[in-house]
Amino acid sequence: MLEIENLSTSYGLIKALKGVSLTAEDGKVTCILGPNGAGKTTLMFTAAGILKPDSGSVKFGGAELAGLAAPKILQQGLALAPENRLVFPQMSVRDNLLAGAYIRHRSEATQVEEDLEKIFERFPVLKERTEQTAGTLSGGEQQMLSVARALMSRPKMLLLDEPSVGLAPLIVDEIFSIIRQMNKDGISILLVEQNAVKALEVADHFYLLDQGKVAFSGTPGEMANDDVIRRAYLGEH
Amino acid sequence: MDFLQTSIDGLLFGSAYALLALGFSLIFGIMKRINLAYGSSLLFGGALAVWLEPFLGGGALGLLLVTVFGAAVAGIYVERLCFSPHLGKTGTMASMIATFAIWMQLDEISSQLLPQRTHGFAGIDIEAISFAGIILRSDHVLHFWVAVLAIGALYWTLYRTRFGLLLRASADDPEIAYLLGGRVGLLGVATFAIAGFLGGTAAFLILSSDGQITPHFGLWSTFKGLVAMMLGGVGSLPGAIVGGLLLGFAEAHVTFYLGAEFRDILTFGLLLLILVLRPGGLMGVDVYRTGRLATERI
Repeated sequence: MLEIENLSTSYGLIKALKGVSLTAEDGKVTCILGPNGAGKTTLMFTAAGILKPDSGSVKFGGAELAGLAAPKILQQGLALAPENRLVFPQMSVRDNLLAGAYIRHRSEATQVEEDLEKIFERFPVLKERTEQTAGTLSGGEQQMLSVARALMSRPKMLLLDEPSVGLAPLIVDEIFSIIRQMNKDGISILLVEQNAVKALEVADHFYLLDQGKVAFSGTPGEMANDDVIRRAYLGEH
Repeated sequence: MDFLQTSIDGLLFGSAYALLALGFSLIFGIMKRINLAYGSSLLFGGALAVWLEPFLGGGALGLLLVTVFGAAVAGIYVERLCFSPHLGKTGTMASMIATFAIWMQLDEISSQLLPQRTHGFAGIDIEAISFAGIILRSDHVLHFWVAVLAIGALYWTLYRTRFGLLLRASADDPEIAYLLGGRVGLLGVATFAIAGFLGGTAAFLILSSDGQITPHFGLWSTFKGLVAMMLGGVGSLPGAIVGGLLLGFAEAHVTFYLGAEFRDILTFGLLLLILVLRPGGLMGVDVYRTGRLATERI
């Protein structure tokens, strides 16, 4: 279980997170909605250890992670697939995946190979392109590679930052069915999305982030019944 | 027969240029910055080797070890002073200007280590090979084998080890490499040490082939390394190898047919020609075409 409490992060003088508290339960899909600039990516970066928080706590499985370096947090089983599918463009698909398993110990080499096979079963497109450089993949393929790379560290929880952004509707459907499948296989997911309609299909709990604060928290049913959210995020009038 | 002999001589000597360019290219490919102090780091290695020789002995092998070690240490010094404090996107110019200052400093130190200006530099003697009227000079054969070994070791490190995986990942995107658990803080030092090993080896080969070292070697090797790297394609490792071989080949022919005084005219003429015809260098096309990457370099 990921428990974020009263978390504040700033870029110089600009406060991006102003005391955010939320919980992502084990085995569930938790979704964070919010407009651009609400602090969603900042929250993900802080949880993953790329940004250091000013105050507050990030607890994962009871252990305090706030302020730890990214490699340490990854070792605790919390992996981030960043926004804009930041794959290593000049490296092959295979090397990208192996880089995802970088923290795993040398003695796990055979398990890493097995995981690679499992990944190729789950993402058949990647198998066809094993030796191709990642920069030559399509946007959807890069997104799948980015998710697959995060999986290679065998995380307990996956932080997914806007996996659907800039992708064609068919590919978005595919990404969401992968999210559902991963969750069924026992990986907890904290998902940041702007596509609320798609997120409703997978998420067990919603948070709405606005101007660095949690503005709403509830189940999918509660969210779909909230007038303001319906109008702003589900496009109803 | 002359043509064949000259071509072989040029390519074999070019393998030392290839090593020189590889060091340059490795730093550029990973740090995305020019290191103007590269040649003077190599000069420092060579000068230190000559200066220490009376105390250490060891002959040519001693010279090789000290040159390589000195070049790597000078490289790490350059990284700590000029690169690691300026890692941000805005630091590109600052680190280049800083390397210029360190270039002057290392040149000066090296001059002090070489009080007679020109000092002898011993080589490793191996057997010359001759067959069918072609003679492979012993120093050329040494260039070739050492270059093959060094390039093999470099590729093995980059493509067969966990460390190499991290180094390549970090060259593409240091932030994501860190996110995936790589401790990227000391990769700069490792890069400069490897570049120092490659360049130091090249420096030993070239100096021992000349039989002497002068304080001009720093500037000379910066120019040759830069030109070979740019011919092949900036930041591309195969490009550096091709560029080095091409430079050696072309220089040998010009020296043979027109005389040594035309050699540097050719070197820079060739560079001008390539930059006009293929601005990304011979092998640099991929890099040149992908816009995002092209703007991120330099």
